[in-house]
Amino acid sequence: MESETMSGLRIGVDVGGTNTDAVLMRGSEVIAATKQATTADVASGIRAALGALPLTHHQDEIRLLTIGTTQFTNAIVERRHLAPVAALRLVAPAGRGLTPRIDWPEDLSRVTDGGGAVFGGGHLYDGRVLSPLDWPAMTAFVENSLAAGVQNFAISAAFSPVFEGIEQQVADLILQRNPEAGITCSHELGGLGLVERENAAILNAALLPLAKQVTEAFADAAASLDLGCPVFISQNDGTLMSLGRARRFPALTFASGPTNSIRGAAHLTGLEDALVVDIGGTTSDIGVLHQGFPRLANHVVMLGGVRTNFRMPDINAIGIGGGSVVSDDGSEIGPASVGHQLLQRALVAGGDTLTATDIAVAAGQSIFGDPALVSELPRALVDRVQSNISERLSRAVEAMKPGAQRLPVVLVGGGAVLVTADKMAGGDVLRPLHAGVANAIGASIAEVSGEAQAFLTDASQTRESLLADLEQQATAQAITAGGDPSTVRVLEREQSAIPYMEQGNLKLRVKVVASLALLTGADA
Amino acid sequence: MTTTVGADDLDDLTLGAVFLATGGGGDPYLPLLMARKTLETHGPVTLVAADSLADDALVVPVGGVGSPTVSLELLPSIDEAAQALDAFEQFSGRKIDAVASFEVGGGNSLIPLMAAAVKGLPAIDGDGMGRAFPEAQMMSYAIAGVKPTPAVALDYAGNRAIFETSDTATYEYHIRAFAAAAGGMITVAEHAMAGTQLKAGVIPGTLSFARELGGVLRHHRGPIDQLMPALKACFETSIYGDCRLLFSGKVVSKSTRISGGYDVGECLIEDFADARRHLTVTIKNEYLTACIGEQVLATVPDLIVIVDVETGVPINAERLAFGQRVAVLGIGAPAFYRSPEALAVTSPRCFGIDLDYQPL
Repeated sequence: MESETMSGLRIGVDVGGTNTDAVLMRGSEVIAATKQATTADVASGIRAALGALPLTHHQDEIRLLTIGTTQFTNAIVERRHLAPVAALRLVAPAGRGLTPRIDWPEDLSRVTDGGGAVFGGGHLYDGRVLSPLDWPAMTAFVENSLAAGVQNFAISAAFSPVFEGIEQQVADLILQRNPEAGITCSHELGGLGLVERENAAILNAALLPLAKQVTEAFADAAASLDLGCPVFISQNDGTLMSLGRARRFPALTFASGPTNSIRGAAHLTGLEDALVVDIGGTTSDIGVLHQGFPRLANHVVMLGGVRTNFRMPDINAIGIGGGSVVSDDGSEIGPASVGHQLLQRALVAGGDTLTATDIAVAAGQSIFGDPALVSELPRALVDRVQSNISERLSRAVEAMKPGAQRLPVVLVGGGAVLVTADKMAGGDVLRPLHAGVANAIGASIAEVSGEAQAFLTDASQTRESLLADLEQQATAQAITAGGDPSTVRVLEREQSAIPYMEQGNLKLRVKVVASLALLTGADA
Repeated sequence: MTTTVGADDLDDLTLGAVFLATGGGGDPYLPLLMARKTLETHGPVTLVAADSLADDALVVPVGGVGSPTVSLELLPSIDEAAQALDAFEQFSGRKIDAVASFEVGGGNSLIPLMAAAVKGLPAIDGDGMGRAFPEAQMMSYAIAGVKPTPAVALDYAGNRAIFETSDTATYEYHIRAFAAAAGGMITVAEHAMAGTQLKAGVIPGTLSFARELGGVLRHHRGPIDQLMPALKACFETSIYGDCRLLFSGKVVSKSTRISGGYDVGECLIEDFADARRHLTVTIKNEYLTACIGEQVLATVPDLIVIVDVETGVPINAERLAFGQRVAVLGIGAPAFYRSPEALAVTSPRCFGIDLDYQPL
């Protein structure tokens, strides 16, 4: 029964670079929210945030804990906590001269370098075998890697998003030799584009030891507060994965922060379509809410200097945030920011740097620090900076607008007070309650998903029947991930074609989402 | 005039080539990586003007035929183009004197440079289109009377096929069938010609011009208003006609489908200043016509180029998407393509569009 089960409590946590936010939710209602400092070990910050929520005597009522985290993105960007990876690519004799980790930044290549080799194997676009597998050569490579102490492997075969079995065969070969090896198969991470998909697989494999550590810490944090509920992690597409899956696919958390704030904005406003501006300390991230989910970037995504084909939200980030440094005459705002030193360096905090937050306080928009410290700022300066900020954000929002129709603009994040305009890019500006913790809320409401894709090459099959097959596969995946079968809905049906090839060579992709059975009560 | 192309020139050359490809030609990322590696290993390639070749020199164009999407998986190989030329020499029993390009755009501007570097041959500063076109009979070499065969095709595994066909249409049909059978992407040496034929059929100077244009786009990267004066100046001294800003706005719809093996459709762009004013751009792998209602702004074979309005970076047709803010430019085709013989195979009607060519 929905009305009853939605009364179950749940917790959303967002681990950001500066703050760890947590919200306690009942249905769509925010019961409590807190912001705590992110700690170096992350887990104690999560414990502090959870500890600040009124959980005592309610632990048994908590149905779900979801965590969104930037740790894995930061590990790649900062080149920290990464393991060496042996990369096996199956495309020979094609691709001569293009080796794994080609065109990577030297430092990232070095810290993840556990060797790489190209073997026969893989498929052609129509499912024929590209070349025979060379088992002896692969076995020798795997044994040498293991002997050299490399424990993590990335496997990428030509056309594996469509013909995936071959990567699993190679994974089995490695597991036979070391059942503890960490293995990432590229087909589980992305679509067509072998080099980009392999890059994603190598990055993911390099994160596996950290993922083990982090997921265990999350489980411990939940256990230490006597939370017996399942713990889920937010993915970059706005859906959830279990701790077990996060341990295998840490790379799927990349960009989950902006995704969660867009989803949180949807939840707080009840909107399905809107533009969302998440104003943080250093940047404002502008995204598009489309049918309840973030619009995804449809091109190659650079991550830590590496080309990947992750499905990431399409975000336009501009250098304006609460900590943005404002020039004395107000003509320049950002991109320099005092960042997490706002509490020391802003004028209202007794510091000596004029920031966007000082302007908001002087204008009476924000209550922060000591307003007396900015009472001398000329009114004309404050007005100029405020209209300047609104204008620049409005232009950036306009650039993200999907079409001519008017869309509401939802402001979230700690810096939402910087904007005074009530219209942006032609749309009404909304400032929902609890906007400051929108991404923790977004983490708490995420759903689970399933995805399947295939080429329409078999002449006996119609587009419609293949789409139906794919929908079934995707649905089965979503249910396995914990989805309630009665809530499954198709989120995307995508069709793309191979130019130059004959009619019928269509690639179809179906993605479905479902509410978690443990929230709808379907698991009871 | 002789110049060389080294690894350091490739970024500019590729950027310029993608611009001139008018939406076609595919993603040049992998060919660019391979070309850079090749030129770093083998040194710079000498670009020679067609006019400086001996009349009886043997010039062989080389490039990829098939689906650019396929080569995202069935990765290209660094030695493929040189092997295709080796095979051509072996089957024809003649030594090649210079390598030429099918088109400027995507990988096909870079493949001949790789082949030339490995074989130690000069590359022709010029190409067979001055842009990208979807079909072989639209190549200036074919228009000038050069036969496509004997041609040699090579697949990813080194399998080779020789083509000797009665006419260009048959050749086009057969080569595409081989491409499909061989995994979707092949490397082909075709339209071999003598120096005299090249001089009559080449669109001259386009590789060095692509490099110059790429330099302008890089140096003046920024909002289209700031970029236009530099672009105009760059085209003024070229074999192309005027470069004009036709329209700027936001992509509000794009629909393409596969028809007859090509990516065909159109894109609708809404004027920034007037939401009721829309530009329609028709697409067949490349951008073909640009019209506002009945008003024709530009048609093929003139070049229609779509760039990011904030940066001036050209956008391929397959990357063009809903919501992008773009500027649409029109550039007069080289004189060769304004001749009756060229228009007979490249005017809008040749693409099934009910319009006559209307020069910019």
